[in-house]
Amino acid sequence: MRKFIAFLCAAFLVLSVGGCGSKKTDDTVTMDVSELAEALLETVTSDSLSETASSMIPSIYYLDEENILSAVAYASSGATACEVAVIESTSADDVENVETKLETRVENQSELYASYNQSEAARLETAIIKSVGVYTVFCVCDDTDRAEEILEEYGF
Amino acid sequence: MAQGRRRRRKRRSEFAFVLKLITMVALVIFIFEGRLIYTMITFDPSGERGSTQSESETGSSDDGGETVSAAVTSQDGYLAGLGNAELISDSGTESETTAQTESESETEHDTVSNPDSEAIVREQAEAVDDSWFSDAVFIGDSRMEGFRNTSGITEGTFFTSVGMSLSSMTSGEVISDGDDMITVAAALSGSEYGKIYIMLGANDLGEYSWDDFKAGFIAVTDRFMEIQPDAILYICSCIYVEEDKVDTGDYINNENVDKLNEVLLEVCEEQGYYYLDFNEVLSDGYGSLIEGASSDGVHITPDYCKIMLEYLKTHYVAEPDESE
Repeated sequence: MRKFIAFLCAAFLVLSVGGCGSKKTDDTVTMDVSELAEALLETVTSDSLSETASSMIPSIYYLDEENILSAVAYASSGATACEVAVIESTSADDVENVETKLETRVENQSELYASYNQSEAARLETAIIKSVGVYTVFCVCDDTDRAEEILEEYGF
Repeated sequence: MAQGRRRRRKRRSEFAFVLKLITMVALVIFIFEGRLIYTMITFDPSGERGSTQSESETGSSDDGGETVSAAVTSQDGYLAGLGNAELISDSGTESETTAQTESESETEHDTVSNPDSEAIVREQAEAVDDSWFSDAVFIGDSRMEGFRNTSGITEGTFFTSVGMSLSSMTSGEVISDGDDMITVAAALSGSEYGKIYIMLGANDLGEYSWDDFKAGFIAVTDRFMEIQPDAILYICSCIYVEEDKVDTGDYINNENVDKLNEVLLEVCEEQGYYYLDFNEVLSDGYGSLIEGASSDGVHITPDYCKIMLEYLKTHYVAEPDESE
């Protein structure tokens, strides 16, 4: 009986630990990066974002081109700090680096906007950076609640 | 008797037929040429703006369907802001209206202080493609950043930052290298470039005396040329603003933009740099940004950033072997 209970406990622990980690490391998650980026556009209401040429994305976010499988970004005319980017890395190992670069971008943009446009600097405080599997999302928008809902629908 | 009645009836039906025909023709003229008739009635040959036509195109563009309008003037036969009308109306429905939208007191306005200046880059017969920018570096403020983001340009290096001004550029670290912030000069030292495009000034309006601005600008460009001695330096004009929409300060006005551009052109003439007059395609013809070319009066909308890109592709200094 004791052995059986111990087995149950062990099985429970293994399953719970597996469950916790699945969201971050699930390599089976697949999605259309363009579709998600487009879906997130509805969360930007104060600006009209435009799709940036894909060849410019690595230089904008300082990402290693070789580590990106696909990426879609919508950016501003400069009027606001709003932007949406969905990046698919070649491997889950690169995701952390992508997140770091995006966090650095938020810090740098916040610093620049602080002396230029305070309200945009404040907006950057609510920037969303999330990853699942090989996908990373970066979203600076007006309706962060809606953005979170959309991301949840996509498995983030 | 009966024959007479038949003749009268025939004449009446012929008359009715002619009347119907005239009515039809009148209706057709009214429907298709109403605009022309209106223009003929309202045309004032003595007025400065008699030959000015304002075209507006409503486009459901990719970025959410905004209305863009381009002023067309008869000045020098050049159509300010219209050169790439096809670009604007790619996906939209077009409506054309003719009206004298501005007050009669307004006069057409040159976008440059010295239109004959040899420093102004003239239109080339052939447009280059994006590969032209592969050895180019673009340095500038949020307007240049917006150009990178929304024009569709696929090549080139951009050292831009929001709020960049002459003073912030010279005194601070305003460019991200992905990890830290570095100075523009440090960023420029990283590679060899064949062309440098600078767009500055919008954040400098009202900051200094014009003499100080000129001296500061020359110091900056001198430094850039020390770092990149073989590069061709293009100085972009400060683009006009839509004053009614600007809420960041009275000093951001088109009078200051004109003055700033005068200084920039002088710098080009004196230092041997090249001046790119974006206002040639972004002015409404009366010393202001085309209505609808900016959402906040300062930053240029994607449709017009595409026009800027086309402008750069047709305004360049041909390399020696190409000109031969």
